[in-house]
Amino acid sequence: MNYVRTLIRNLIRGPSTEVYPFGPAWTPVHFRGRVEFKLSSCTACRACEQVCAPGAIRFDKTPEGLRFMLWHNTCVFCGLCEYYCPTDAIHQTDDWHMAHATAHQYEMAIRELISYVSCTACGAKALASAPNPAGVVPPFTAEEIEIQRNLCPGCRKTALAERGVK
Amino acid sequence: MTTLLQTLSNQARNMAARSPWIYRINAGSCNGCDVECATTALIPRYDVERLGCQYCGSPRHADIVLITGPLTARVKDAVMRVYAEVPEPKVTVAVGVCPISGGIFRDGYAVHAPIDQHLPVDVNIPGCPPRPQAIIEGIAQAIAIWRERL
Repeated sequence: MNYVRTLIRNLIRGPSTEVYPFGPAWTPVHFRGRVEFKLSSCTACRACEQVCAPGAIRFDKTPEGLRFMLWHNTCVFCGLCEYYCPTDAIHQTDDWHMAHATAHQYEMAIRELISYVSCTACGAKALASAPNPAGVVPPFTAEEIEIQRNLCPGCRKTALAERGVK
Repeated sequence: MTTLLQTLSNQARNMAARSPWIYRINAGSCNGCDVECATTALIPRYDVERLGCQYCGSPRHADIVLITGPLTARVKDAVMRVYAEVPEPKVTVAVGVCPISGGIFRDGYAVHAPIDQHLPVDVNIPGCPPRPQAIIEGIAQAIAIWRERL
């Protein structure tokens, strides 16, 4: 009489086919999909470029600054960039709606510019990147991050020493 | 008489549901995308046949071609020959990042990726591999393109 049980279960539960594409699809919480890049948190350490196996992440030096580029059509969504990013500037969303017409394939990229600024202390050319707040006690405030962002690496070191970093 | 026949044939053309048949070419894929393609087609959970699609065994019956893999040097000739056998109008779908850019094999000495240098690709489905729902999404876009071309 097993078939009766199966029959009743099927009647209650309905078909096992997912409704997508005629309805929403279930997505796991930690699904590794489209990458998001937060320019304001990036320290320009280039760790993500180093660990990116297919070479989807690239940093280019331009006269205006350091250009960050990530192409989703090469990315294998392994998540190493997110794992190794010291400041959580890069993370993967659960968005998997990435099928597109070939004409739009180069729009599937993230392009951001970490621009050059002149150091507010010594006037040297420096990248306007966020300082790495990992292990800094007490942690940086938002204003401190903004001040540090406009310093060259040398002046940043001096400022950190004067501040007293454990 | 001819106009009547033409009207009838036009009407029949509009009435026909026109189910595109799908053919899958493995251009040196690691089989990850092929497994996802098979899952999309064969498992009732994803069931691509709701869109009117059916996998066919011969390229001569196909309307939509799914290509997986980075087009390795070894398999290139065979892929080009099989692709040429698919009748027009056909829509080509690149499944996974390998045919689109080479993915993990990008700039490798034994691959001829990207595949759009060798044959016209219409829809890209990035992912390594793309999940079955993403493949269904890409096939839906391919069907829309295919209906325009008819």
